[in-house]
Amino acid sequence: MTATLSAPAPVTTAPRQIRWLLRLHRPAVYTWAILVVGVAGALLWLWGPLTDAAATAWHDYRTTCARDLPCRYDQDAILRYKDVYQYTTAVILAVPFLTAAWAGAALTGREVEAGTVRLAWTQGVSPLRWLAARLALPALLVTAGTGLLALLHHVAWSAGEGRIDTAKHWYDVPTFYSGGPLIAALALTGLAIGALAGLLTGRSLVALCVSALSVAVLWIAVQMSLPHLWPTVAGVAGRGRFPTYSGIKVEEGIVTSTGAHVPASTCASDASAWCQRFNDQRHAAGFYVDYHPYSHYWPLHLVPAGLLLALTAVLTTLTFWLLHRRTTGTPTKAARAVGAGRGGATGAAR
Amino acid sequence: MVEYRIDRHSGVATYVQIVQQTKQALRLDLLRPGDRLPTAREVVEATAINPNTVLKAYRELEREGLVEARRGLGTFVRRSLGATPADSPLRGELEQWADRARAAGLERDDVAALFTAVLDTYFEGDPT
Amino acid sequence: MSSDTALRAEALGKRFGLRGGWALRDCSFRLPAGRVCAVVGPNGAGKSTLLALAAGLAAPTEGSVTVLGTTPAAARPRVGFIAQDKPLYPQLTIAETLRMGADLNPGHWDTDGAEQVVAGGDLDPEARVRTLSGGQRTRVALALAVGKRPELLLLDEPMADLDPLARHELMGTLMAQAARGTTIVMSSHVVAELEDSCDHLLLVGGGRIRLSGEIDDLLAAHRRVSGAAATTPLDPHTVIESRVTGRQLTALIRPAGPLPGDWRTATPSLEELVLAHLRNPGAPALTPADTADTADEEEHAA
Repeated sequence: MTATLSAPAPVTTAPRQIRWLLRLHRPAVYTWAILVVGVAGALLWLWGPLTDAAATAWHDYRTTCARDLPCRYDQDAILRYKDVYQYTTAVILAVPFLTAAWAGAALTGREVEAGTVRLAWTQGVSPLRWLAARLALPALLVTAGTGLLALLHHVAWSAGEGRIDTAKHWYDVPTFYSGGPLIAALALTGLAIGALAGLLTGRSLVALCVSALSVAVLWIAVQMSLPHLWPTVAGVAGRGRFPTYSGIKVEEGIVTSTGAHVPASTCASDASAWCQRFNDQRHAAGFYVDYHPYSHYWPLHLVPAGLLLALTAVLTTLTFWLLHRRTTGTPTKAARAVGAGRGGATGAAR
Repeated sequence: MVEYRIDRHSGVATYVQIVQQTKQALRLDLLRPGDRLPTAREVVEATAINPNTVLKAYRELEREGLVEARRGLGTFVRRSLGATPADSPLRGELEQWADRARAAGLERDDVAALFTAVLDTYFEGDPT
Repeated sequence: MSSDTALRAEALGKRFGLRGGWALRDCSFRLPAGRVCAVVGPNGAGKSTLLALAAGLAAPTEGSVTVLGTTPAAARPRVGFIAQDKPLYPQLTIAETLRMGADLNPGHWDTDGAEQVVAGGDLDPEARVRTLSGGQRTRVALALAVGKRPELLLLDEPMADLDPLARHELMGTLMAQAARGTTIVMSSHVVAELEDSCDHLLLVGGGRIRLSGEIDDLLAAHRRVSGAAATTPLDPHTVIESRVTGRQLTALIRPAGPLPGDWRTATPSLEELVLAHLRNPGAPALTPADTADTADEEEHAA
């Protein structure tokens, strides 16, 4: 009477996880798409019409007001350029925080909190493959989206250089971060931090806060270490003059009579009579400034980005290890010995 | 087709209830030779009892030669039980007796006790 | 890979946190395939932990659990699991939930079986999961588990917060699944509702296995006896529980030999057996499978 189960057909197709990952996180996918398309559109607008209009306005300004002629220039065009530039920059800078918060809250935290992981992990997909899909697809979308925005931001910023008097320098902090691969690396690290925090805490709100805060701390650390990640160049000047440099100043000091560079916290120039006397006393032969010129732009992006990717890899490995240990971990040697040594005693009373 | 009703509080083992109810249906001519008994799956879906209990009852019926299992087809009635269809003369006599008992002032429990006592005397040792 | 043992635990233990208490300790038992097994015990006894270990949702701290002859991780595609709170994705419709099941269990998904379980509950496939009642959620969760064509179905308190009608329907669906040959393991803290449906028992108390085996065998191994207190020596038998009222002694024992004729004896009900063991945590455990199948075990180890 009992019908025997027919043997399951051999598994021919891989589980279609991606489709359901997209379905379950549809609001996030739509939000991300709107954000990328919107900011990309704004940056294209900035790059073309807005930059041209603002450049024309600045040209008019220089040929009228600056020559004490009656001012005749389009101030609105300049302000519009500035506004759009600031807004797009701010949104791009928010991406790592948004990614981390979302990953912590929705990607893993809520699943653990609501218990749906126990549904997901008991389908025909192992927890590790579940995590792999959950990290790979967002990583791809975040990298592509953020990369595109950073590229457009860089292009739009370059278009204003030398044409718009108030265009930001390359070493302006928001401009620097929003225009290169470093922002994409920060977003990826945010994703890894969020996924780990969500899995560890199992509370979406806690994971959200922890992830966003971790990204802030990480960003400060990147900002502090950034100048020291690539060799600087030195600008040198004799006594009574100032070393010329343009870029990120890292260190300044005096050049001794032997040619050695000694960092100085005060009087790194003969700016006052007091400093002049002070520099005479310490036998300063000149002054120097260690700095990063614009030519260091790409190394300064790529080196920390590489370090962040390494950190991301470590965090991801940790997340996988943690999940493996939690769900399918192998018992310790001692435990196996207990299992092997099992005798009749197990049936006896405590 | 017979439908089983399981009484959890009767004190009678569940598989025995199935055997008894099948026999009852055979006696009352509700099941006839060639009829198919419900599959274990059908029974357990309706009664929420363990399928092995149904199989055990069917094996018991098979052992008594009342039904036979045909592989892949189901369990079928082989022969009917007794000669007491619902309209048999014996039933008529019993109804008359019950009528007299009520007229004599006996209550339901009195009649049941009396009937059980007589059953025990005449059918001692028979399987239920 | 196939095995006549659906579930086997050997000195299984699970502790939460490094200094946390043991949720489960020193558990050894064997559940043959094709059974409907009740995992019974008070709340917090370790039932959920045991099921989570078998489902590969948690790793043992010590010992091992073997599922369908292999590790819980390797058995995952062949095991259905429903957690106590019936987790489902609230934003999906019922139809989407089942399609997800099909996509995540390629090669062995039973579309008809899953849809039948849903249809049995008169549910609208386009209804969103978040709008469903407790009983309806249970039905969808069960459809998802059944659609997997599991050889082993693990259910954690499937009857909790269901009304009597939904309980009966759900149990009917489960028994129909059992009739197809699926081994079913379900936990409950209510014994009465399992008596007719289950044929195997695992009694868990205080994180340990107290009773394990076929329910018929376990009942047959125990007697409820009563006799005169002064003349009833219980010595040779294992006493689970005994009580003296006046001159009368009543006890639940595990006979070690023939019982004297002047005792009144009866087979206990399942509920009596379970309650007696739970009331007396010191009573010795009885796990026949533990000793009877050592040969079988060696065979698997080889």
